[in-house]
Amino acid sequence: MTLQEFYTHVGGNLDEVLERLRKEDRIVKYVGLFLQDTTFPELEKSFANGDIETAFRSAHSMKGVAANLGFNNLATSSSELTEDLRPRSFTEHSAQLFEKVKTDYTTAVNAIKQII
Amino acid sequence: MKDIRPKILIVDDVVMNRTLLSDLLCDQYDILEAKNGNEALLILQEKTTEISLVLLDMVMPEKDGLEVLSIMNKNGWINEIPIIMISSEKATALVEEAYALGATDFINRPFDQMVVQNRVKNTIRLYTKQRHLSDMVASQIYDKTRNNSMMVTMLSHIVEFRNGESGLHVLHINTITELLLRELLKHTDKYKNLEESIPVISTASSMHDIGKITIPDEILNKPGRFTPEEFNIMKLHSMNGALMLNKIPFGKDEPLVKYAYEICRWHHERWDGKGYPDGLKGDEIPISAQIVSIADVYDALTSDRCYKKAFTHDKALEMIRNNECGVFNPLLLTCLDCVADKLAIGVENFNWNFVADRDFTNIATALSKDPEHPIYTQAFRRYTYEQEKCKFFASLLDGISFEYTFIPSVLKLCPKGAELLNLPQTIAEPEKRDEFWGIASRDSWDILLKAVQSASPINNSLSFESKIIIQGKQKNCKILAERIWKRNPNGDAAIYAIYGHITIL
Repeated sequence: MTLQEFYTHVGGNLDEVLERLRKEDRIVKYVGLFLQDTTFPELEKSFANGDIETAFRSAHSMKGVAANLGFNNLATSSSELTEDLRPRSFTEHSAQLFEKVKTDYTTAVNAIKQII
Repeated sequence: MKDIRPKILIVDDVVMNRTLLSDLLCDQYDILEAKNGNEALLILQEKTTEISLVLLDMVMPEKDGLEVLSIMNKNGWINEIPIIMISSEKATALVEEAYALGATDFINRPFDQMVVQNRVKNTIRLYTKQRHLSDMVASQIYDKTRNNSMMVTMLSHIVEFRNGESGLHVLHINTITELLLRELLKHTDKYKNLEESIPVISTASSMHDIGKITIPDEILNKPGRFTPEEFNIMKLHSMNGALMLNKIPFGKDEPLVKYAYEICRWHHERWDGKGYPDGLKGDEIPISAQIVSIADVYDALTSDRCYKKAFTHDKALEMIRNNECGVFNPLLLTCLDCVADKLAIGVENFNWNFVADRDFTNIATALSKDPEHPIYTQAFRRYTYEQEKCKFFASLLDGISFEYTFIPSVLKLCPKGAELLNLPQTIAEPEKRDEFWGIASRDSWDILLKAVQSASPINNSLSFESKIIIQGKQKNCKILAERIWKRNPNGDAAIYAIYGHITIL
């Protein structure tokens, strides 16, 4: 999988990311670092524990990290989850929105493993 | 010389975000990182003066961005360090709140290298410029205050010299007026609006006798008692001074002119209404004139004049208290008693830099409290804070803390130490003073100097046993000292000062 194909796969666009971050090796470096990012594990744990503060915060962080890296599918789904949790309570949609984030996260992680 | 790179503090709870920002900026800046609000505040407290910019995330554990902003507001850092919020936040209310709390700008996620670099560069440039301007204003205020009060006093001296007096009278009145005024504010709320006018009133006090230039020499400098006619002429000086000020074509609304007018005209009024020129009684006499009146009498009593010898400090106070030289506001008499100890010292230690520093401190304090025109007073605030801290720790220590500078040779002792040794807190050229050799023997002093000079700049701490004479008795003591080095113009290191502590064994 090329970097271009990778970005199409996660709903992004390499050209857009290149315009912002300038260097391809910089992009590859941060895409690789995403595997070590602890935001998603925290989000998952907070859902299991019913910890709404951490859930909101990590959803919010997830949105930011995904947007920076140009993982647009993940950015969109975590943005929706963030807005759902903003009033600081779980709603009837929360679980479903979280599942979408999880799917997009897993897709991104699996794709990353194929390019590095 | 190597250029100093601006320092940027990046505050974000996600490592990846910090690293990415740092990556975009580290070519031109030194980067500090904090992973939550509390960490950021600790770094800010430690390095307030070093940090040129903060990049602050909104949503974080342990104090979020808004909490950090609001604390920076409370302690004034917000006026000194620009903050750029980093956020993917679309919630308008939060963005608005951040701006309201003083955030300079926003950088949105996803980051764009060009936007990040330019926004950071421009913000730092603007703040540096503003800081520079504000420093310039401060230093101009300093020069101007110094020149102004010097000018006023020089003019007042002309009167003094004609009078055959030393010229010190004006300086004394200046100091005493300020002391009394400060004391008065402690005793009553009635004059609390005068707080910020203290410097201007004490400057105006210099002019109290300008009317004397209208009095003929033979009366002004007459050694014996005045005849009633002569006294009537002499008495004209207060009204004449006021009239002279009234004829100045400008500045009528200036506080300096207003206070000088009050002081000139009414500094010979009496509390019981029997003074001149207007026979004002009690609080009809402006407080500025009441204070200068009492200061004038005290200084006249304690100085030699063409018609009398100087009385001692205690005798003068007693005469004033017994209404032998006029009748004064009882509250001011109380204030005079309260500052009695400071009077003698204050008057002897008058010096221009001190006055300028004092006025500058007053102005800086006033400005730093002014929310409309914040100035960059970090260094100033830090300085006063450190001074307070030093004072406190010194008060906890037993023994004697000291500080000695080589050029000029000045020894400073902590208040406790000075009291114990029965020496003043500041001694210029102690090695030439007998009272200094009353506490240290020549031998122990030589040993100290040798120890100080011998070691290299690498190891700055000294510790050795010596002897000290306290109230006539020789005691063993332990001296701990730290040497402070300074680079000479030719590049060599030289010892500038030693700080230390003496423990009596």
